[in-house]
Amino acid sequence: MNPSNTASSSSRLRLLWYKWRFHLNVLLLLIPLGFMPKYFSEAALFRGDAGLGEREIGEVQVGPWNLRLAELRNEAPRQQGPAGYMKHFNAALCQRCIGEVKATYLRIGKPRSLRAAGVIFFGSPYRMSAQLPVPQKTPSDVELWITLEGWDGSMHQASIPLSQASPATVDWLNNQGPRP
Amino acid sequence: MSKKSRSKLWFLVHSWLALPIWFFVLIVCVTGTLAVVSQEIVWLANPDMRASQPSDDAPLLSYDQVIAAIKQAQPQTQVQSIIRPDESHFALEVGVTYPDGRPDTVYVNPYSGVIQGSAPTFNFQAFTRALHGWWLVPFTNGFSWGWYLVSFLGLPLLASLITGLVVYKRFWKGFLRPTLRIRHGARIFWGDFHRLCGIWSIWFIAVISITGTWFLIQALLFDNQISISSEPVVPVVARESVPLSVDGTAPPTLNLDRAIEIAQQRIPGLEASFISLPGNAYSHLQIGGRGWYPLMFQTATLNPYNGDVAASRLLSDRTALEFVTESMRPLHTGDFGGLWIKLIWFLFGLLLSMMVLSGLLIWTKRTALATANAFKRSQKPVRETRAPQPLQPSIQRETSEGSL
Repeated sequence: MNPSNTASSSSRLRLLWYKWRFHLNVLLLLIPLGFMPKYFSEAALFRGDAGLGEREIGEVQVGPWNLRLAELRNEAPRQQGPAGYMKHFNAALCQRCIGEVKATYLRIGKPRSLRAAGVIFFGSPYRMSAQLPVPQKTPSDVELWITLEGWDGSMHQASIPLSQASPATVDWLNNQGPRP
Repeated sequence: MSKKSRSKLWFLVHSWLALPIWFFVLIVCVTGTLAVVSQEIVWLANPDMRASQPSDDAPLLSYDQVIAAIKQAQPQTQVQSIIRPDESHFALEVGVTYPDGRPDTVYVNPYSGVIQGSAPTFNFQAFTRALHGWWLVPFTNGFSWGWYLVSFLGLPLLASLITGLVVYKRFWKGFLRPTLRIRHGARIFWGDFHRLCGIWSIWFIAVISITGTWFLIQALLFDNQISISSEPVVPVVARESVPLSVDGTAPPTLNLDRAIEIAQQRIPGLEASFISLPGNAYSHLQIGGRGWYPLMFQTATLNPYNGDVAASRLLSDRTALEFVTESMRPLHTGDFGGLWIKLIWFLFGLLLSMMVLSGLLIWTKRTALATANAFKRSQKPVRETRAPQPLQPSIQRETSEGSL
C-alpha cells in the first residue's frame, strides 16, 4: 500500500465522520428497540397472561383452606431502596375460601402470633400480592410460613421450604457470602 | 470580547445544544406530543371507550349503581377501583380481577352500567408514556436510567430557550411583525419558521423544560432517599375496629355512595372522580378528586366498616414547596383541564418537534457550510496534492443554497 492511498482512505473516513457525526445519535433508538421485547413481556406478566406469576409454586393446604402460590418473577429478590431486598409473591384463594378468609400473611420463619404473621397480601382474592422482605443474612434452609386468618377468628398455618417457594432466592442467598 | 463575537459564541452554544442529539430530542418531543392526546387517540380507535348517552336526559349512575350493574352482568368479577375520567365523553375505567386471576381494566358506560369492553392488550397510552418518559428502560431499583436520560433533556432545552432569546435580538418585535418568508428558499423559510415558532412557544418551552428538569430532580431525590413529602403515613385499620363476625363471613361494609357522602361532609368541595376499594380486610377505602385548584387531587381515606375518616389530603395540607412540585407533572402533561388544554399542549408539542427539525435544517444548510469551509481551509495546502473529490459537489450545492 502506498502512502497516498492510506492518506486518502483516512481522509475519506474523516469526511464520513464529518458528514454523519450528528446523525450518530439515531443509534440511541436502539435502546428502546432493544428493551421492547422486555417491555411487552412485563406488560403480559402484569396482565396475567402467564397466570399468577412466572413460576407457579403450586397449591398449599392451610387448615381447611387452600391457596395457590406463585413467584411473580422467577428471580432473586430485588433491592427496593431503603426497604432492602424484597421478593414479590402472588396468591389466589380457593373459590370456597374467599368468603371465609379475612387475611393472608407470608413470613420467613414461624410467626409467634397472629400479630407477627408477616406481610399481608393485598388485592383481589383471585390475585393477591405481597412483597416479602428477605434479609441478605437469611439462612437458605428456612421455611416460608403462610398464615390464614378467618372471619370467624380462627387462624391456620402451613409452611413450605423456601427452596420450594423460590429456588432463585435460595441461590441468591447462597451467594451472599459468609453468614453469622 | 467584542459584541459580535460574543453573540457568535451564544449562537454556537445554541446550535450545539441539540445538534449532537437532535434525533433523540425529536423522538422524545414527538412521543410526548402523542402521549398528550393518547387517551383521545384510543377513544377514536376504540368505540368501547366512548360514553354514549342513551337519551339526552339520562342521568349518570352512582358508584354503587355501577358496581351493582357489573355484579349483575359478571357475578364473579371483583371490582378494585373506578375512575371517572375528566371528560364526559370517556367511559368509566374500572379495575377488575377475574376468577382465573387475570386483572383487567374494563370500560363501563356511565349512564347504563353496561360493560362495553376490555382495554386492548396493547396499551397505546402506557406505551407512548413509557417510550417518552423512560425510553422503555425497565425500573428495577429506583428510577430507570432511561428516565434520567430523558429528563436530563430538560436542561439543554432550557438552555436552548435562553440562548435562543439572546441570539434573536429584540425578539419581541417578532410578535408585532411576524415574518415567514416562503419564497426565499429553504434556508430563509426554516430560519423564519424557527424564530416565529420559538417566540410564540416561549411559555411552552419554559413549562416543558422546567417541569422536565423537575422530573430529573425528583428521580435524584428519590434515589437518594430524600423525601420532601409532608404526607403522613396512614396506619392500617386497627384490628379492634374491624367488626367481628358471628357466622364466619365478611361483615358488611359501607356502601360507596354513603361513604362519599360522609367524606364530602367532612371535606366540603371534595369531588369523587376516583374510588379505590380496600385492598384487604385491614385496608381503607380511598375517595379522591380535584379541588378548586385543578392541578392537584384531594383524597379522603375512610374506614370501610364505620365510615371514620382515617386521613385526608387536601390542598390546604400541602406545603408551599409541595404546591409547586406537585403541579409539575400536570403542567408537563397538560391533562388538568379537559380536551382544550390537551389540544393546546398537543399543538405546541408539534411546534416544538418542528423546531428541532427546523433547527437541524438550518444547521445543515448554514453551519455545515461554515464547518465544511473551515475544514476545506485547514486541509487546503495538503489537499491540493491529494485532491479528494467527493467533498466538492456537496459544498457547491450547499453554497448555492446558503447564499440564497
